[in-house]
Amino acid sequence: MKNKLAIIFIILVATSLYALTIRGVAGSPDALLIKNNLDQATKPFELSPERGRYAHVFAMAETGRYDLSQAWADAVYPDIGYANGKFYSYFAPGISYLSTPFYLIGKEFDLEQVFTFGFISFMSILALIFLYKIAREIFELPIWASLFAVFAFAFASTAWSYAITLYQHHVTAFLILSSVYAVWRYTQRGQRSFLWSIYVWTAYGIAIFIDYPNAILLLPIMVYFLLSSFSFRETSQRYVLSFRMAMLYTFVAFITLAALHGYHNEYYFGDWKTVSGSIPGYKTIVERDILAQSDTEKEISQLAPQKNIVAFFKEVNVPRGFYTLTVSLDRGIAIYVPLLLLSLLSIYRIRKSITPAIATLLALVGINILLYSSWGDPWGGWAYGPRYLIPSMAILSLFVAFWLSRGEVWKKVIAFILFAYSSAIALLGALTTNAVPPKIEADFLGLKYNFLYNIDFFMDGRSGSFLYNTYFANTISLQDYFLLIYMALLILVTVVLFIVPLFETKHES
Amino acid sequence: MNLSIIIKKERIDALIQWFSVRNPERWVLWIAIVLAIGATIYSYLNGYIIAYGDAESHLNIAKRVVDSLTPGFAQLGGIWLPLPHILMVPFMYSDFLWRSGLAGSIVSGAAFVISSLFLYKLVWRVTARKSAAVIGALVFMINPNVLYFQSTPMTELVLIAFFVLSTYYFVKFLQEDRIISLILAAAFGFAATLSRYDGWALVLMEAGIIVLLYFPYRFNPEAWKSFWKIESIKHFIVSRAEETKGSLSALIGKLEGRLVLYSTLAFYGIFLWFVWDWLILGDPLYFTHSEFSAASQQQSWLARGELPAYKNVWYSFLYYFVTSLSNIGIVAFLITLVGLAYFIFDKSIKHRIYILLVLLVPFFFNAATMYLGQSVIFIPHLTPTSFEWTLFNARYGIMMVPFAAVCVGYLFYRSKAAGKALIGGLLIFQIALYGIGYSEVISLADGTRGLSSGITKMHDAQFWFAENYDDGLVLEDDFARSVSLVRTGVPMEKFIYIGNKPYWEESLVEPQKHVTWIIMQENDTLWHNFLERPELEARLYAYFNKVYTSPEILIFKRISDVPSI
Repeated sequence: MKNKLAIIFIILVATSLYALTIRGVAGSPDALLIKNNLDQATKPFELSPERGRYAHVFAMAETGRYDLSQAWADAVYPDIGYANGKFYSYFAPGISYLSTPFYLIGKEFDLEQVFTFGFISFMSILALIFLYKIAREIFELPIWASLFAVFAFAFASTAWSYAITLYQHHVTAFLILSSVYAVWRYTQRGQRSFLWSIYVWTAYGIAIFIDYPNAILLLPIMVYFLLSSFSFRETSQRYVLSFRMAMLYTFVAFITLAALHGYHNEYYFGDWKTVSGSIPGYKTIVERDILAQSDTEKEISQLAPQKNIVAFFKEVNVPRGFYTLTVSLDRGIAIYVPLLLLSLLSIYRIRKSITPAIATLLALVGINILLYSSWGDPWGGWAYGPRYLIPSMAILSLFVAFWLSRGEVWKKVIAFILFAYSSAIALLGALTTNAVPPKIEADFLGLKYNFLYNIDFFMDGRSGSFLYNTYFANTISLQDYFLLIYMALLILVTVVLFIVPLFETKHES
Repeated sequence: MNLSIIIKKERIDALIQWFSVRNPERWVLWIAIVLAIGATIYSYLNGYIIAYGDAESHLNIAKRVVDSLTPGFAQLGGIWLPLPHILMVPFMYSDFLWRSGLAGSIVSGAAFVISSLFLYKLVWRVTARKSAAVIGALVFMINPNVLYFQSTPMTELVLIAFFVLSTYYFVKFLQEDRIISLILAAAFGFAATLSRYDGWALVLMEAGIIVLLYFPYRFNPEAWKSFWKIESIKHFIVSRAEETKGSLSALIGKLEGRLVLYSTLAFYGIFLWFVWDWLILGDPLYFTHSEFSAASQQQSWLARGELPAYKNVWYSFLYYFVTSLSNIGIVAFLITLVGLAYFIFDKSIKHRIYILLVLLVPFFFNAATMYLGQSVIFIPHLTPTSFEWTLFNARYGIMMVPFAAVCVGYLFYRSKAAGKALIGGLLIFQIALYGIGYSEVISLADGTRGLSSGITKMHDAQFWFAENYDDGLVLEDDFARSVSLVRTGVPMEKFIYIGNKPYWEESLVEPQKHVTWIIMQENDTLWHNFLERPELEARLYAYFNKVYTSPEILIFKRISDVPSI
């Protein structure tokens, strides 16, 4: 019962805070409105990832087709490709497909764009629920610590900035957390383990559909899934190695999704193996003025083999990427979310009682950091904090909670101070802009390069919040709006850290 | 529904029994031989054996000992240490082995096989587990950087072999305190000191460890537990004489005996090198400050502000750390770090810190030489893109692969069944990363497109000369590498370079006396000599025609009907 109440509490808090900060404008902005208007900093389409994905949502909802018109191509530029005479964004299609129903629901309220972005908030809340369940059931943490893990991830990390706009990270985080939970339930060999098995394969298929690198990112879960399907028994005469066939039967779920993905590629790009990231770039076509030439298709077909997505991941990038994602001043997790550094202490403590599920979670963090350290652009373009590490932030918040779980007051005080710092930065980004340049570009352009850049927007009262801009901008200043949310959040965490434990029995803890 | 495989216990037991009586040393040996041959064939077919500019220079040094205008051991020179070249000399009687570079491949390949075998033995000595020893050896044997280097005439594999041999016997000595092991460690240390300068650091470290091991007083780490108490400070130092109830003089005698025994042999190579430089070049420190020395070459980088690790402890550490990572492979490197962490805290391993110190000698040495400005490494994404080159000397990190082999082997030994499977899986994953191009074979990349490469800088003059050379002696500044000697087809005894006394000196003044061809490159010795001194330039044009011109290289040919005066 207490768990159900806690989950309802999470849903209420997250819905409220996401609603207060979600980016957007009323209605359904079209390409012309976005270009040179809503694509500016603090506007809902400030960066190309949300423009690209939203363009497809708009196209599917309004025309029933995935491909984009020339006007949308110009609005989404530069992350736009060209295949078979049509335009497509580079982004994997999953987010656009999945959020289209939200667009259609939003149409009923003339809030198509806000509801489309709300899909990500919705998925984030689901992720928070699974985070809570993992904390409670796998880590066996008390309710207060589990709640703290949830709030640390949701509101004290830069993940907040990406829960209120159209990015893939929270959906990935949800699929990772729910899959880990599903495999863990699968290992319990309960009556519904077959369903958990179906879920794991389905989640893996969807994960690839929403972001191609997820095929690698989720590998630790699939290894955990595979190893969990084996069991070993020893009798006096023989060894018995058993394999649960459920894992094989349910593979059909993955095959089905992969086939649908292949069909999408075949239908739009002409080859089931061609993914959106590998089609020839519209930017190159524009720069070379290929569309004006007589043999356009031939020229474009020659561009296609030059693109290789895998080639963007290189071991040689690791030192720079690792530095960028961890400690750099422009993107480092230690600068933006120092609260999560406490997880390192926890990992040291847990090393001798590590379970397969916890090992999988640690492997996920390792793969996440390694994968995006290898990426040619570890900064994630113009972004707020290390956005590629959002799935890791969720997992590390579990370890922070584990570190706190013995209940020493001095640990809670440290955690509270770090929470206060981290959540201030998180809220600052959520209320202003994600369009923060990497240091190398900022130096060139003469701009600031981390949350200091956002402070200027903040002081100018420029916010991306739909609710603030629509209802409160004329009533209170952005600074007051920030303080109200921030104080509410700190009170909430104070209650979670210091009051809730008083009501938990020793048995529950 | 479950699918079950039922295996009778007796069959598994029989299999375990079969493995336990087999000696994996033989497997390691055969795997190493097969891999060495396979990798060398691959390098040969792809033209990688002499990809490095230095690779050809090593071949030429060895070749000149037996085949030169002035053959003899003096051709070994006074900069690069001589042993790798001496080992190549017997194969230099074959022109094919010289020109193809296979003479060097044979030496490096043999060193690779020996290294693999003794890494197996070293890991076994640390863990007493055959399986861990095999894994350790495999980490070394399947490393693509090592496999590439064992196919080249470069000197790294020779040093690795002596490094591993010396380390093995030194560890054996630490564990058993047998004098014969100490002598063998010193003997292989002696060989290492004559292979590469890294070997000097090895024998210094081993000698230092002997001092620490037998010093009459030792550091007491337990004292840290109460270090805040003033009276406990004295407990940091513990007298071994009191501990063993022996006499102080006996302990000093033992230290003296071991140290002298070790040092006499181990440091003899260094002594010989000083004597050699003094006898041949008139300066015992020629290798440190001649114009061809590494230190002198770093001065030009320093002048350009492109010596990032110079006098910078953090960058010296970071550059070699990343270079090691790049040579070991990211996944294997991460396993190595985990293994290292476990190894450091495993009190059951006798003298584990001393073992680590020996294995880490390449790290200390390379970081120190970069700090002192004696060497330089450029590695992508660490070296500023404003530098002219971002890949240079990445091969230095290959010296850390034996360290990785020991750490991974050790971690395998410490792991339970699932951990062992994971390590095996991750090593396969590492190979796959090389296979798909995620992990780059950095040492090969340096040889094929880095500043170390000889093949990317091959001038058109090289092909012109190979086509047009008919006969006669050729004057060339070997250091400038204007044309590749092995690739021109011209016999070695037809070349005059700085080591051919008195031909070189005479030709600089009277080129017409011996020489038919002169190949000079912008800013090399010949260029400065003939084109910046009017009297010699006049003489040059009096006796020679310029037959080839490019912005960087000029080739002159003797005018046949003008007699020498």
